[in-house]
Amino acid sequence: VSFLIPECGLLPEVLKSTIADVGEYYLVRNLSVHELVAHEFIDAFVKKGSCYALTHNTKIDQDNTAALLPNGKLILSVDKDTYEELGLQGHPSRYSGKKVMRYIITIDLTDSSFHPDSKKYNRVLWALKEKKPLEFDFLMAWYNTGAEGSTLMSYFSKNQIQALKPKVTFSTLKDLQCPVLQSNELQGKPDESCSTEELFEWLGAVLNQVSLDNKSSSFLSTYCCPQPNTMVEKAFLCTITGFIIPEKIIQLLEQLCCYFVEPKLAYWLTLTVHGFADSPVSWRENEHGFHKGGENLYNFVIFRNLDYWLQMAVGTNDDCPP
Amino acid sequence: QVGAALPVDVLTYEEKTLSAILRVISSGLVKLWSALTLLGFYQNRRCAFRVLQTSPFLLALSGNSRELVL
Repeated sequence: VSFLIPECGLLPEVLKSTIADVGEYYLVRNLSVHELVAHEFIDAFVKKGSCYALTHNTKIDQDNTAALLPNGKLILSVDKDTYEELGLQGHPSRYSGKKVMRYIITIDLTDSSFHPDSKKYNRVLWALKEKKPLEFDFLMAWYNTGAEGSTLMSYFSKNQIQALKPKVTFSTLKDLQCPVLQSNELQGKPDESCSTEELFEWLGAVLNQVSLDNKSSSFLSTYCCPQPNTMVEKAFLCTITGFIIPEKIIQLLEQLCCYFVEPKLAYWLTLTVHGFADSPVSWRENEHGFHKGGENLYNFVIFRNLDYWLQMAVGTNDDCPP
Repeated sequence: QVGAALPVDVLTYEEKTLSAILRVISSGLVKLWSALTLLGFYQNRRCAFRVLQTSPFLLALSGNSRELVL
């Protein structure tokens, strides 16, 4: 997650505290998937608040992957052999081609027919515990809606669980060329403002430290900042890396909108959020794949008058975002 | 453009990590990728190129979850 605020040298205190409050996430090593299906887990975490889990270091185009969504659905993206051994009902991956090599199994943990004595539950438990036990390192996070009870740390204390804090980096960019934007001119107006695509590419250049001023004689790169642009003395860039949950991103977004409550020099600021390249889903529950790239990201451009642009980008093996 | 050559931009180069970001027109991706893969020698020194990430969006290159170090 990155945000860029032009004309800002120091971060306001309220934003600093929101970032500090982003919260921990957990790495649980060698966790068997059947433990996520256990009713103690479902009652303690899935039904109370939003629980998120994603397998770590698994490639969606090669390995078996699992993810737990906050709505209680457990998604398993498995290869053909695992699917046949597991014996649970799923459907072929949308990005399969003629020979199906990947299957997606969705288990709704909060479904009323999934109670401890049902046939469905027993079959799932048997498949994951005895038929084909699946074990992964999981990244987990839990948004607690204030309910009392155990925490992930105490629940998985017998597994190798580690609490991790997202990495935060700040930098102040000097003398940055920023495109001029008008919130109601999405295509840009010649000599007046830049288009959304130009902004999207410019932002990519800034976040990757691509030099923006190229002389016409430069033979290395032909990229230059879109016209019209203004030279901004300083801009604040913050990047937070880790397993960050949407609730925290919403808090960050709200605080960034509050940035414009007091008069500021900046006309706009941006907030960019990258999804995990190896996640089995992107945008609601659409299947996500990795073709040449696993990008799934969105970018907010928030203007002074609180108009905003939302740009969403996906890779080849993805559905269009809603 | 000269003959069958493809214009390629070197957007960044970082000596510390020996990594760079290149930009090429999308129809030239396969040609560029193959050329990099097959480049084994430069000025009589052995070398190899590894492609870490590709995307039609420059912004997507600023986050690579496959390189997440915990």
